[in-house]
Amino acid sequence: MSGMRNMWQLSGQILRKQKPSVITDYSYFVNDLAKGRKPSPLRELMRMLASASSNVIFLAEGLPHSDTHPFNEARFDLKDGTSITLSGKLLTSALQYGPTEGHPDLLQKLRQFQERFHNPPGFDDRDVIATVGGQDGLCKTIELCMDFGDPVIVPSPTYSGVLAMMRPYRPKFVTAAEDKYGFCPYKLREAINKYWSHGNSVKAPKLLYLNPTASNPSGTVMPIERKKEIYEIACENNLLILEDDPYYFLHFDNSEPQSFLSLDEEGRVVRFDSFSKVFSSGLRLGFMTGPRPLVQAIEYHMQASVLHTSSLSQIIALQLLNQLGWDGFIKYMKKIRQFYMERRNHMSEVASKHLQDRAEWTVPDGGMFLWIKVKGVLDVYEMVMSRGVHTKGVMFVPGHAFMPDPTKPCPYIRASYSLASYEDMDKGFARLAELIDEEQHHQAQR
Amino acid sequence: MIYTIRNSFLKSRPTGLMSYVRKSTSGSSAMDYNRFLNPFSAKREPSLIRELTKIYANSPPGTIFLAGGLPNAGTFPFAETNVKLKDGTTFSLSGRSLEAALQYQPTQGYPPLVKKLKEFQIKTHNPPNWDNYEMIITAGSQDGLCKTIEMSLEEEEPIVVQDPIYTGTMAIVKPFRSRLIPIEQDKDGMCPDALRKALQNFFKDQDKRSSKGVPKLMYINPTGANPTGSVLTLERKKEIYKLACEYDLLILEDDPYYFLHFQKENPVSFLSLDTEGRVMRYDSFSKVLSSGIRVGFVTGPKPLVKMLELHMQVSTLHTSSLTQVIIHNLLESWGPEDLHGHFKSIQTFYKSKRDIMLDAAKKYLTGLAEWTVPEAGMFLWIKVNDVVDTYDMVMERGAKKNVLFVPGRAFMTDPSQPCQYIRASYTVPTPEEIDTGMARLADLIREEKDLQK
Repeated sequence: MSGMRNMWQLSGQILRKQKPSVITDYSYFVNDLAKGRKPSPLRELMRMLASASSNVIFLAEGLPHSDTHPFNEARFDLKDGTSITLSGKLLTSALQYGPTEGHPDLLQKLRQFQERFHNPPGFDDRDVIATVGGQDGLCKTIELCMDFGDPVIVPSPTYSGVLAMMRPYRPKFVTAAEDKYGFCPYKLREAINKYWSHGNSVKAPKLLYLNPTASNPSGTVMPIERKKEIYEIACENNLLILEDDPYYFLHFDNSEPQSFLSLDEEGRVVRFDSFSKVFSSGLRLGFMTGPRPLVQAIEYHMQASVLHTSSLSQIIALQLLNQLGWDGFIKYMKKIRQFYMERRNHMSEVASKHLQDRAEWTVPDGGMFLWIKVKGVLDVYEMVMSRGVHTKGVMFVPGHAFMPDPTKPCPYIRASYSLASYEDMDKGFARLAELIDEEQHHQAQR
Repeated sequence: MIYTIRNSFLKSRPTGLMSYVRKSTSGSSAMDYNRFLNPFSAKREPSLIRELTKIYANSPPGTIFLAGGLPNAGTFPFAETNVKLKDGTTFSLSGRSLEAALQYQPTQGYPPLVKKLKEFQIKTHNPPNWDNYEMIITAGSQDGLCKTIEMSLEEEEPIVVQDPIYTGTMAIVKPFRSRLIPIEQDKDGMCPDALRKALQNFFKDQDKRSSKGVPKLMYINPTGANPTGSVLTLERKKEIYKLACEYDLLILEDDPYYFLHFQKENPVSFLSLDTEGRVMRYDSFSKVLSSGIRVGFVTGPKPLVKMLELHMQVSTLHTSSLTQVIIHNLLESWGPEDLHGHFKSIQTFYKSKRDIMLDAAKKYLTGLAEWTVPEAGMFLWIKVNDVVDTYDMVMERGAKKNVLFVPGRAFMTDPSQPCQYIRASYTVPTPEEIDTGMARLADLIREEKDLQK
């Protein structure tokens, strides 16, 4: 790697010592549109401002004056009795434009966060940036990498949001069913071989999308052994792994799962974290961790679009993390875990009570959802969307929303246990039982 | 509605949105909004789960909703939020209002705020045919603009823009390798004659509407244009609107400095003139309430705003709920009179800063440079006499002199051409800093002229 390096290339010096096949040129993964993106000169000037000495008179920035902000103070009283007060300089930075990648103090904290929970190999070649929710990082990564008609690897079922993100590209979904531990490496290999065996397939898949902890909708948690195998498959097939992990702390185990990021010796993992299930979904605060060239490209896109995620949200999260400390944070997440686990237990009981012989399900190992397979019914769409809504007054999500191919008949439904009262859960499942009985009766008659 | 979603799910072509688009064009027979969607965005479909949420909102009481994907806000650590304004007003968020501030919201925006902003738009602009419009709250107005361009522009397709142009818009357009059709402006904004000539030239041998590769979008920053500070006059807006109708262009009215003018009355917007439904307007609270909290709003024809909603459904989801609830509370607490008063005080504030800079410019730059008095916005656009290009002068020698401006080349549609201008911002620096800065600029210019000899 001599002299001139473009933005897509890394020296990979750190990782190269361990694994010679580390990725050093990311341009392969990026589409032409994204390659045409350039840094916005004004945002680059903002960088100069941030590092300029106090002697410099800066007449370049387009910042509104903080005197014109009508806010004086914002105080957030927390449930544990402590509070976060934003006033003076802190309030000013919460209300003012900031760097695209995120407030420097928050970024420092997030880097520490990633080191503590994942300790990624070769961390220096990676960047962390704050995004408008984890999903915007994911969406921008899809928009960075995908081309029309690309093959892309996803599990079945998978998060409906990512399918919606990808569908305008008319992708060829390379997919295999999950089992109770998530994406199965053996089935994944089969699916990839099947894709290549079609012969006409010219394009190689470049992306592998996973939601490994408390997968939406199935609630599976992928064990580390599987992750290692799947990582090997990604290396063999030169794939980027999009590790979408908003429920990372919502597993029901005793300790945090080991992530793909922690295994990433070749620089293949782009990880999406979120505070939506941790501090607040409304704050719209997530963060993306990945190889520098890819994260930088996302930053350029953000420069042209959202500019940065809400400074107020960033400052609040920073204060919370500082006040909690790591031990406090872990204790705090344990409480949340306990909360969702109790609700899961209750919904499992209610399901057992009403759905015996009518359906099958695996008790989820994390998250907010129960993934139910209705017995004796080939396709639940009309049952759920029409009869369920209008006749029985109960709403679930038909499994089609989570299938790469929604045209195939699907017997699954997703039920959420995060919000409903226990009484509503009971009523809801009683109505579901009636629905299923009627549906099975209809099917028998046809 | 259910069957529309189902149909679009089951067939490979998305019937759901396109039939919506076709229905909506019945109100205004001239506008075919399909033309403004590129093939990529035309394939976007509504999220079934977000649609389910809408169905639930309209369902009979007693309906049990187990279809959501919301986390339980009870797990969030906040008990109460108290906000104090500088004028002494306070409001607090607790219970339901706090939950709204912390929870996912509809993509379009926190419903009470959407309602309030709609009332605001009607009051401020009184657009004709309001029923054909929709609004959506975005993470800053620039995201609305970006998503509109990403929805509409095709690769290498031309786009009409005012020249010089805001760098953010250039950044949005750049990856499309679009051919920019630059239209010059003077202190009264984009010149209609230049626009007419450019469009006539471009369309000389092409059928106006049907060819590929003709411009569909026109980007205008009418009030306090960045970087020039020009304010587009009403007469010119009317002429430009006529041309947009003639050539079937969408007008992207990017107006973040709308309330930062130094005139007696608010300008009359393109939105107010929009009889044909071809204006997408981008408003922002960044310059008047807070830039960091990322709240902007888009007003435009229903089918096009719906497309933005679909893109947001898979990307940002919505802008910060906390921000939206706080802004809503602020607007409620103040009422229209106090809000108007706030805008007036900001105008007075920035006008005095503008005047400080103008005085300093007169003091130090007379004979060295020229400029017109900006009637709105945050910037002074300075033309340096007898200097061919200001780039190195500003970026290298200026930096060494401890003064930073923006070289005009950053705003040129053709950055390969030399540019004599620089942009100076008067919003943040103190009067002393402005004075020192302009004095250093004078030195810079004199040294530059010596260098050129």
